[in-house]
Amino acid sequence: MRNPVKDKVAIVGVGSTGFRRNIDGRSRDSLAVEASVKAIRDSGLRREDIDGISASSPAPPSMASALGLPSVTHYRSGHVPFVFAIVDAMNAVFSGSAECVLLYHSVYRAPAISASAARDPFRRGLGFGGSIPQVPSRTDPESVEGAVGYAAWASRYLDEYHASREGFARVAVSDRSNAADNPLAAVRDPMTMDDYYAARMVREPLCLFDMDVPVDGADAFVITTAERARDLPRKPVLIHAATAGLTDRNEEDQIPGLGRHGQHVVVESLRAKSDIWIPDVDLYFPYDGFTIITLSWIENTGWCGPGEAGDFLKQHWDEKRNRILINGTIPVNPHGGALSEGGTQGSGHIREAVVQLRGDAGARQAPGAATALLTPGGFFFNAQGLVLRTD
Amino acid sequence: MSAISDTELLERFPDTWINHDNKDFYRGWLERRLLLNRCAACGYWQHPPKPVCRTCWSGDVHATEVSGRGTVHLLIRLHQGPPAPGVDYSAPLPVATVELEEQEGLRYTSTVVNCPPGQLRIGLPVRLTWIERYGAPYPVFEPRAEGAAGDA
Repeated sequence: MRNPVKDKVAIVGVGSTGFRRNIDGRSRDSLAVEASVKAIRDSGLRREDIDGISASSPAPPSMASALGLPSVTHYRSGHVPFVFAIVDAMNAVFSGSAECVLLYHSVYRAPAISASAARDPFRRGLGFGGSIPQVPSRTDPESVEGAVGYAAWASRYLDEYHASREGFARVAVSDRSNAADNPLAAVRDPMTMDDYYAARMVREPLCLFDMDVPVDGADAFVITTAERARDLPRKPVLIHAATAGLTDRNEEDQIPGLGRHGQHVVVESLRAKSDIWIPDVDLYFPYDGFTIITLSWIENTGWCGPGEAGDFLKQHWDEKRNRILINGTIPVNPHGGALSEGGTQGSGHIREAVVQLRGDAGARQAPGAATALLTPGGFFFNAQGLVLRTD
Repeated sequence: MSAISDTELLERFPDTWINHDNKDFYRGWLERRLLLNRCAACGYWQHPPKPVCRTCWSGDVHATEVSGRGTVHLLIRLHQGPPAPGVDYSAPLPVATVELEEQEGLRYTSTVVNCPPGQLRIGLPVRLTWIERYGAPYPVFEPRAEGAAGDA
């Protein structure tokens, strides 16, 4: 599979507000602005250098106006997880549509999923994920669309593989243990396996701790050519390979099964594009918006076989730190992931990979980490893959 | 089908996104018939409705009645969820994706009624039945004896 962009584009700046479940009195735009200013400053570039924007929300024109970016030649906003933005910016830089691209992603608790957000009068009417509300529509609960689809396939996973919830529990506990060392994380209190089993069911078989944490916050990045990156202050992190993955029967209740969905397309594509794969990976970031997604990624990426993730996690469990540590060296979502840092739709995973590859992760640092494999997204319409490496 | 007008259809489902691809699916609800998208050229079933057959690209696709017989393939119990009339989550609400016998992988998602919670499981044989919601019929499932006909 062709990959002419391999190692030609680099991430040179990162910025984050951190993520909290109770940021009040701030707009969504203010979060994205704060993260973006931090990322541009971190990159060592000037605002005049930024000629591209690739983002989720707010819209690029509003951000160019807020930040005073005088001359932008490429901009686009779109869906998450955040690899969609990374791929767009990578292609823009590689093709010459832009030279230095600002990327940002903000998340903002919606009243429907957060009681505290529902008390904020300025969030009244916001849709799921904090989006501007659309026309009213009926909300029949007898559906597996969107996030509910993961509870549905979790039921199938448990049934088909005669699995227990122990694998789900280990993903949740590991994330929480990792978040303890991450000041950006929303939830840092320690959690035990017993705490997991005691949690209330929400969409059975998934309980409260199987679902990511709704948070407010933003991440931002700056991307430019690998060549220019070598003249900038930060250690460049190269984009080695990136992909998305989509199949034809991709509606939540119509995918062929656990053995064929978007994740499989991602793995086929990424393996073909990347020179780096298991066992040369120093850091692994499987998506964890729901615990079942993590188990599926671990299996589909090839760390173990179908239905074996529960046993795999038990075998690669760091008893001392109460977390997953593959082969005793490879951390898995060392920032605490979506389940404990907060539901960043992948931007947090990518930011942590960059910080680790720079060697700047402090107490969380994986010694000598030079390669990272990231598999953001779920099964249906947003599976993605990314391989990052140092220069 | 004794077709009601497009305008009347929209009035019966005021908060539903109805378009030219799914209008006959919703017309079926009003007659208590579950009509799924089927290709007249090659016989392939697909759901949700699309303007073209996924396999042969024929545009000759029509809302076509299914037997309503199937087995539970995915099963959730919602302990909380969006508001709907008659749903208060005092007992967890089952949400079941049913694999229909017309074609492998053809599935329809709804709830299962008339079923003791202890008997509800993946693999349970079910058949179509109807409840009322927002003044119109709404398709749901209920248990059936294995091999039994779908008609109540």
